[in-house]
Amino acid sequence: MLYKIMSINAYKDFVKSLIYNYEFIGPKKKDNAIHDFVQIKDISELDTNYTRTTIPPAKKILFPPSEELVTYDVGKTIKVKPVIKSGKKVLFGINAWDINGMNFLDKFFTTDFVDENYMAKRKNLIVIGMDTEPTETNFSPSMGSDYATEGFDLYLTELEDSYFIRVATAEGNKILNKYSEVSNASAVDFSDYKRYMDEYRKKFKLDVNIKDFYNNFELIYNDDEFWKRIAKDCYSCGSCNLVCPTCFCFNVKDDIKLNLKSGSKSREWDSCMIPGYGVVAGGHNFRPDKENRLKQRYRCKLKTFFDKFGRYACVGCGRCIEACLAKINIAEDINSINKEVSI
Amino acid sequence: MALDKGDKNKSNIYVPELAVINKIQRISPTEKIFNIAFDNKEKQDNFYFNPGQFIELTVFGLGEAPFSITSSPDNRDFFQLCIRDVGNVSGALHRMKEGSKVGIRGPFGNGHFPYDKIRGHNVLLIAGGLGIAPLMSLIKYIINHREDYKKMMIIYGAVNPESVLFKSDIQYFDDRSDVSTCVTVDNPDDKWTGEIGVCTKLIPRVDFPVEDTYVVVCGPPVMYKYVIMELEEKKYPPDKIFLSLERRMECGVGKCNHCRIGDKLVCVDGPVFSLWEIKNLKEAV
Repeated sequence: MLYKIMSINAYKDFVKSLIYNYEFIGPKKKDNAIHDFVQIKDISELDTNYTRTTIPPAKKILFPPSEELVTYDVGKTIKVKPVIKSGKKVLFGINAWDINGMNFLDKFFTTDFVDENYMAKRKNLIVIGMDTEPTETNFSPSMGSDYATEGFDLYLTELEDSYFIRVATAEGNKILNKYSEVSNASAVDFSDYKRYMDEYRKKFKLDVNIKDFYNNFELIYNDDEFWKRIAKDCYSCGSCNLVCPTCFCFNVKDDIKLNLKSGSKSREWDSCMIPGYGVVAGGHNFRPDKENRLKQRYRCKLKTFFDKFGRYACVGCGRCIEACLAKINIAEDINSINKEVSI
Repeated sequence: MALDKGDKNKSNIYVPELAVINKIQRISPTEKIFNIAFDNKEKQDNFYFNPGQFIELTVFGLGEAPFSITSSPDNRDFFQLCIRDVGNVSGALHRMKEGSKVGIRGPFGNGHFPYDKIRGHNVLLIAGGLGIAPLMSLIKYIINHREDYKKMMIIYGAVNPESVLFKSDIQYFDDRSDVSTCVTVDNPDDKWTGEIGVCTKLIPRVDFPVEDTYVVVCGPPVMYKYVIMELEEKKYPPDKIFLSLERRMECGVGKCNHCRIGDKLVCVDGPVFSLWEIKNLKEAV
């Protein structure tokens, strides 16, 4: 990691150069409450001062809601071709917990085998992180994801009259030197940075006890009454899955074009909370009850991947809490499970 | 962008291999057996699988579904799938003719029927309904290597006589002196001379010694609960009871998450599990 300082003026030129030279994806104000990561054509559209995005930015680019995997010609002879899309992009202004969400997906899509569709996009993505204000439902410090130590090329922290830049990759260093002028961070800059981070960390208000949860979850796992109570208001709508930076469930479907001459196989996001998730041919549903679906979701987020990767499949961004129409609150549930069992 | 050339040559695991349906046999009002071979001879020669593994079959333009292989791994020229006309893909397959092309991915599943562990032991095979299809791969393998195994018994339950699958194979097993075969139906007709009732009620009659017997079960979800109760009653140890689980599978490689039960994935950890592995896994059976 290199530590550099960029002036506020240099910052603007830097961003303009990136917008000019790359497909630049950054936060743009959508309405009063929500920002969306879209392609930015002019620096005036960019608004890094955001608190809320609905769809996690990295997932949207790397694991899009619908993605073609294979195309084929049908007819006398069938020809099958893989589809792997890539293309250099800059993802600008993503915050620490969303970078950590992407780090989970990186790990997930490269474990056991490399998912070429994901990796082709990931290898070509330049990630430039920035701190944003947490929402009141954000509990990322508890999940250890309020600070990113990997996954980005550059991470910019806005100090009083300059940017403190963490340079994590050679590519990040290259574009920094190519499109901007930076100096090495001095001891004063480091202490400014530390002071800023100390203040920044105070903005996170929500706290969960995830360490005790690990064992408590197993103790309450078979308590059907408890899970029924937790899930009783769930509409099984899948909003929590849609907004989650780490949810990865997908369907693989085949489509045929109207000319009946070619078709394709694509994957699209699925949701483990909707009733049809476990239905097989013949109509049998292996997970018909919403309490079991919610329990499985919590297990996937907070246990399965902690055992497998040593990291949670939840970064504590709080999006699912805000998105839930039934006000199901994963942070509250973690705490109430701890309370329930440790009597 | 230096990467682009490399990426162009890359494939992904979703690309199916072309194969042809060589032969279709109807074996019941709702089931057909499909003989399938890869177009690419080298691919066919290198297609090795274990009994209990499954493939993902694509009907081009329509969809993809997982099916267990029903033929013996010893059969090298083609493999067989026994498919019930019940869903989108299986329905389309039933409308297909011999010579039609399909796409195949696989074989998938690291947990297969333990044909290797069973060697030198007695084996009790219990099938319910279409559960006979995956199990048939193991049964045929054991028959082919009969001298490697001790006593062998097949219990097979079906709804009625016309839904009994693999009739000629079963007749052949029944004729052999080294296999005991018990077929039972819930709803017999006038000509039925075999057992009547669910297959669980035949389990108490099994006299294989507990310490030297493996039990392999394949059937619909509702059957497992009762079969397990009977087997536990007879004190067969849970690490020697094996079950094949059915789940929805979209990818076959542990990514789409549909087949997850607790921390396990049926497609990569299974589809065959020992009862020991899934005993404390809620929802498994």
